[in-house]
Formats: sequence, structure tokens, C-alpha cells
Amino acid sequence: MKERAVQNSSRLALYHLWIAFGVFLPAVALGAWQMLMRSPLPAPLDDTNAYYTSVTLHGTAMAYAVTTFFAMGFGYAVTATSLGRPVRGIIAAWIGFVICLIGTVMAVVIVLIGRATVLYTFYPPLLASPWYYFGALLLIGGSMIWVVLMIYNMLIWKRDNPGQPVPLAMFAITATAILWAWAASGVIIELLFVLIPQALGITTRIDVGLGRTLFTVTLHAIVYFWLMPAYIAYYTLAPEAAGGRLYSDTAGRLTFIMLLVFSVPVGLHHVFQDPDIGAGFKFLQSFLTFFVALPTLLTVFSICASLEIAGRARGGRGLLGWLWALPWQEPMVLAVALSLVMLGLGGFGGFINMSYAMNQMVHNTTWVTAHFHLIWGGAVVTMYFAIAYEIWPRITGRPLRSKELARWQLWLWFAGMLIVTIPWHITGLMGMPRRVAAFDYGDPFVAPMGPLVIISAIGGLILLVSAILLIAILVRSHFGEGQLQAPLRYAIAVNPPKAIPASLNGFALWNAILLVLMVFAYGYPIGQFLFLKSSVPAYEVTHTATSGAGP
Amino acid sequence: MMAREQDISETYNPWPKIGWATTAGIVVVSAVLGFGLLDRYQQAGPTLSVWSAICRGLGISSDTESTAEPQPTLRTPTRIAWTNATLDQIKAGDAKHGAFVTLVCTACHGEHGISQSALYPTLAGMDAATVYKQLDDFRSGKRSWGAMNAIAQALSLHDSADAAVYFAAQPDGLPALTGDRAPESGRSLRQSDPAKRLIFAGAPERGIPPCSACHGPGGYKLGAPALQGQQANYIEEQLLAFAQGMRQNDVFEQMRIIARQLTSDEMHAVAAFYAAPVGAPRVVGIPSR
Repeated sequence: MKERAVQNSSRLALYHLWIAFGVFLPAVALGAWQMLMRSPLPAPLDDTNAYYTSVTLHGTAMAYAVTTFFAMGFGYAVTATSLGRPVRGIIAAWIGFVICLIGTVMAVVIVLIGRATVLYTFYPPLLASPWYYFGALLLIGGSMIWVVLMIYNMLIWKRDNPGQPVPLAMFAITATAILWAWAASGVIIELLFVLIPQALGITTRIDVGLGRTLFTVTLHAIVYFWLMPAYIAYYTLAPEAAGGRLYSDTAGRLTFIMLLVFSVPVGLHHVFQDPDIGAGFKFLQSFLTFFVALPTLLTVFSICASLEIAGRARGGRGLLGWLWALPWQEPMVLAVALSLVMLGLGGFGGFINMSYAMNQMVHNTTWVTAHFHLIWGGAVVTMYFAIAYEIWPRITGRPLRSKELARWQLWLWFAGMLIVTIPWHITGLMGMPRRVAAFDYGDPFVAPMGPLVIISAIGGLILLVSAILLIAILVRSHFGEGQLQAPLRYAIAVNPPKAIPASLNGFALWNAILLVLMVFAYGYPIGQFLFLKSSVPAYEVTHTATSGAGP
Repeated sequence: MMAREQDISETYNPWPKIGWATTAGIVVVSAVLGFGLLDRYQQAGPTLSVWSAICRGLGISSDTESTAEPQPTLRTPTRIAWTNATLDQIKAGDAKHGAFVTLVCTACHGEHGISQSALYPTLAGMDAATVYKQLDDFRSGKRSWGAMNAIAQALSLHDSADAAVYFAAQPDGLPALTGDRAPESGRSLRQSDPAKRLIFAGAPERGIPPCSACHGPGGYKLGAPALQGQQANYIEEQLLAFAQGMRQNDVFEQMRIIARQLTSDEMHAVAAFYAAPVGAPRVVGIPSR
């Protein structure tokens, strides 16, 4: 009986992960085509409208579908393996899976038929078919079932094991779930009260400022929702794969707590050029954003320390000798190194973006695109690959066919992403806007950007090759032979926690602090639209769906 | 069980103190810097008082008093605003009564609004909102053209809505704009035919957006007419009128800005492209002089 329940938990995780990677491959192909389309090179289908449709699909697939399904699948796997018992509430989990899947299909179909070319941020006054918004709402709303299940599983484990510290992996995935609930609140409110009434034709005016401000609540925190599975792998899987121990369990808990507290009340740094938010609040959220660097620096320190412990345990000597002693043939170890390099490069770019004054130099240029491709498309996705390479054999019972192929795939992705993003950073500083379908490379201002754009387009093709390789590796090990009985194991800390303070074993305190910070940082910026309505321009929106005047 | 729960609560827990103290510190420091200090000092201008700085921090601007400079006289391009009320009025139009109202139109605009003359636009299939707006612009004198001003003045708002709905429902004229179409190669700046390039990719170096974004195929904007199947001469003449400032009823002046930058050859080529029957192969180019 228990055997079957465990199998059901594994199957649940595997289905989620397959959807995530199944969506990932076509989305990468779209990205590669978009890069050709906006470069001076010939593109297979040069239609500017198709470009924006493709950008919308690429963004919606990558930002909402891949990440949400991956986080959910990883969350179920972590719950079952770290707590050592099947996921409670498995039926609800399957219902959530189906709801998310229906939402994804709805959104994708509506974009494909050209009814929702609004880019994945769907900023008003751009307006899509209501079915696109309903699709997004189902996907995000369905994932709330996962949020509840993560919290529920942690709470009942704590009830069953009083006084015991929650395993770090479970603590961290619960932090991820709580963060996602906070983050999603913004976009859910925007969809329900700003966009959907407009798309259904109930209102003819749309409060652009309110819509954008609500979306910023989601906009930055969602990035940390994508990032946290990668951080969980850094802390709990990487030291184990390297054959060492985690440097500090407390550092891990503090990292996830700080990520939760500091990544939500900071979203206004995405709209520094918006006129309807006061300068004081822009500075304030810029200031708060700098605290997000703390957990990242703490993580880099802890992971390097953990790897050093592993390297020295394997016989590495000297100042840097431990580096060479690490098991680099393990995809997880290689992935951590490549991922940290990209996180570092992207992170320093992020400091520019979040600085209220410096942001003006790069706002809405390809610099920004380069930044989030390095962080998400580079650092985070590389860890998703590594997690897949760890989890697939454990769930399917079939070992990875070739670790060498997996290493090739990781190196190709790393190289491709750098070739894509370094030229983008440069063209961004030259003033090239993002989200533009076609450039006139004959123009003397644009002409010098041409060669850089061509280089980045080549990087895009390398990424496509790497993505195909990834799917090939996963399919091969899915249908491969051989039996493997090795449960997923998490790194043990140098000093395993015995009794830890209640505040590091739960989230009540941190949710209360986050609530205070949210009221402080967002209370007035959102509230002003309700009370000072006259001061805010409400743009009229035009769309077939609302004109109602046609035949 | 209770005893073990006691254990965990007895573990020394400094974190509430640390958490709240840090939060309070961050709140105070960022508020003082953001609202009281940094935004007081201006690069070009006197230092603000604390009160003004707080208002500025909140986004309440104090520099909105009217200046003594002379303001140009306000001239609105149209009386129509796309509010719910306007759209509801158009929607309430009665096509049957419209058929009666529009009997007078057939003399120039043809049977059922399908124009046989290069001088007059085809109205069959035109979006009702567009017809309604143009009638109102003629009525108010925002747009002038011969007999149309007098005819429009003779129509009530209801008659206009009826006529608009009637023309919108007539078949075989302009195609309905739905905002979607299948993607097709050659619709980017790489296109060698200048007319097609203008229509589907615009001319970014002159700040000209693609015509198709509002007029189709594939784009739609409330108040912009579909152009496919329209009379070529009519399109060309209207572009010229916008360019010369003779026609001024485009709401944000966008057509005047665009048309001013088109050469007469480009106007001709764009008009010829749109005039070709829907679905027919269009081979048009800008004639060389």
C-alpha cells in the first residue's frame, strides 16, 4: 500500500517535470527564431506580427508554464523524499495539475490564433482575448493548490514530529510556495479586477497605473520563485553530489527566509520610468532591493565552503587544490559551477537595473533582456537541468545513459547563453530597445549593432542544439534499461541541527514581517489609485472585443 | 507531546527581536532617505522644503500651477470619444432604418455602399464606429467635404448610428477587421517592395508605424477603417489631404504626422496595394521616374 502511494508521488512529480521540459523545447526554438528575425540575417518567416506572437508565446511558456510546472513537480518530489513519506493530499495535487494544464493549453491556443499578442507581461492598455487571461488565471490559480499542499505537508509533518527540525529541503520548498502565494497575489488581483472586466467589455476605461503597479508585485518575486528550486539544489543536492557536507544548515534557512522577505516588496524597481509612482517609493523599493543581495552572497559563500569541504575530503590540498579534486564528471557539480558564474555576471548587471539612477541608462534596452536571460535562462535553468539529471534516474529507476552527454549539454547551454547575452548587454548600452521586431540596419545609428546581433543569434542556435540534447538525454534514460535503487539523498550539514529556534522552523514571524513591509512599500502606491483617481490618467483601450460596434 | 513542544519553544530564539529590529531600521532609514533627504536636493533648482519633498516622494507634484505663458488656442480634432456611452449608442443602431436613411447615399457611394467611382469611398463592410465618427465629424465641421457636411447635418445621432450599422452589415465591400491573420513571409523590413514594407513593417527611421497595424490586414484599431478593397484614388487623395493639413480629424494627429513624411510615389503605391481586390495577387511597386 505504502509502496503504491510512493509510486503515485513519484509519478505526480514526473508528470509535472515532463510538461515543464515538453514546453521548454518549443519555447527555446521560438527564442532562436526570434533572434534570427531581429538580426540582419535572413529568417525563415519574416513577419513582424509573427515576431510579437512568438515573443508572447516564448515568454508565457518560459515564465509561467515551464517554471510553475517545474517548481510544482520538484516540490512534490522534495516533499516525498525529504520527509520520507508519500505526499498527503495526492488527489488535490492531481486536480491542480489538470487545472494548470488546461490553463496552459488555453493560453497557448489563444496566442497561437493571434488573439493575445500582448507579451507575457500583458501590460495594459494592450488587451488580449479574455480567454488568454482565463488561461493565465487557471495556471496561476491551479498552482495555489500546490502552495496549500506544500504548507499542509510541512505542518502535518511538524505535528507528527514535534520538536524536530523540518528538513532543510522541505523548509525551503515551503518558503518557495509561500513566496509564490505572495507574488501571485498581484497578478491575480490585476487579472480579476483590471484586465478581465475590460476584456469582457464590462468597462471601457482601464487604469493603466493600477494594472502595472499590481503586476510589479508579481514581477520581481516571480523571478525568485523561479530561482528558489535552483537554490534548493545548491544547498541540498550539490554538496551530496560532490561527496561532501553542507557548510551550514542555519545559513540555508536564513537564505530562504531572506529570499521570502526581501523579494516581494521591491517590484517597483521594474517601473522606475513610470510617471504615476512617486520618487520616494521608487527609492524606497530600490533600497529594499539591495537586501536581496544578502541571501545570494550568503549562498555563494555557503556553497563554495561546502564544495571546499567536499574537495578536501577527496584529498585536495592547498589554497585552491580542492577545486581540482571535486568530481567534475558529476553533472550536478559541473552545473553548480557554471550556474554560479552566470549568477555572478547577471547579478552584477542586476545592481545596475535596480539602482534608481543608473536604471535610466539601460531601461527597456536589450541589457535588461540579457540580464534576465543570464539569471533565469542561465543560472536557474542550468540547475533545472541538473535537478532533472538527479531526479530522473531516481524516479524511473533507470540510470542516466551517459553522463558525458549530460556534461556536453550543460557546457553547450553555458556557452550559448554567454554568446547570446554578452552582445545583448553591449547593444543595450548602445541604446537598442528590447521587444522590437525589426531593425533597419541601414540606419547609421543601428548599423554598428548588426554584427553583435548576428553573434547573439548564433548563440541562440547553440542553445537550441543544447535543448534538443536535453530532451534526447531524458527520453533515452526514460526508455532505457537497468534497475537502479538509489533514493534521492540530501546533503547532511557539518553540524546537523538538533534543536533549532521556532522562528527558523516555520514562517509565522516572517510572514508577519513581510506583511508589514508590503503595507509600507505598496500600501500607498496601490492605494493612491483608489483615492486619488483624478490624478491618474486612465487610458482608453481599443479592441475588437470591446468595440461591440462591428457587424 | 506537550513536553516536546515545550522543548522547541524553550530553545533560545533571538530571531523575532532580530527580525523586527532590522525591519524597523530598514523602514526608518529608507523612509528618511527617500522622503526627507535625497529628494530635497535638485540639480537645477532650489532645495525643496521638507513638506514639498514628502509630497514629491509620494508623487504629488507641486509644479502644476498654470504658467503665464500664452497657450495656443485649443482645437479638438473630433467630438467623438470612445466611451461606453458612444459605443452603446452605435450598437443600438437599427440596420433596417439605416437602409432607409442611406437611400440618399447611393448616388455617390453606390448600391449598398459599394462605390463604383474613384472619387468616393466604398462604405460596405466598414466598421460601424468608423462610419459613425466620420458622420459626426462632418456634422460638426471637423472634416469638410462638399455635400457631406450638409448631409450629415440633416441626420440625427440615431440616424447616424442606424446608417453606420447598416453599412457595416453590407457584404462584398471592405473585409471585416478581426485583428488576426496567418503569418506570411516578406512582411518585415527585409521586404524589397517598398509599398509592402511600409504597410507591414513601417519605416522606423522616419517614425512611421506599419499601416496594417490599424488598417489591416491583421491589425485593428477602433475608429480606423479597413482599407483592403477601398478605392485607390480615394486613399491617395486622403493621404494628400492629411499631408497638406486639409483634413484634420485624426484624433492624435497620427495620420497627419505619417502622411507628411510620405512621398507622392509612396502614397500612390500604398493606395494601389490596398485597392487590389482581396485575395488577388498584388504586384505594385513605386514607379521609377
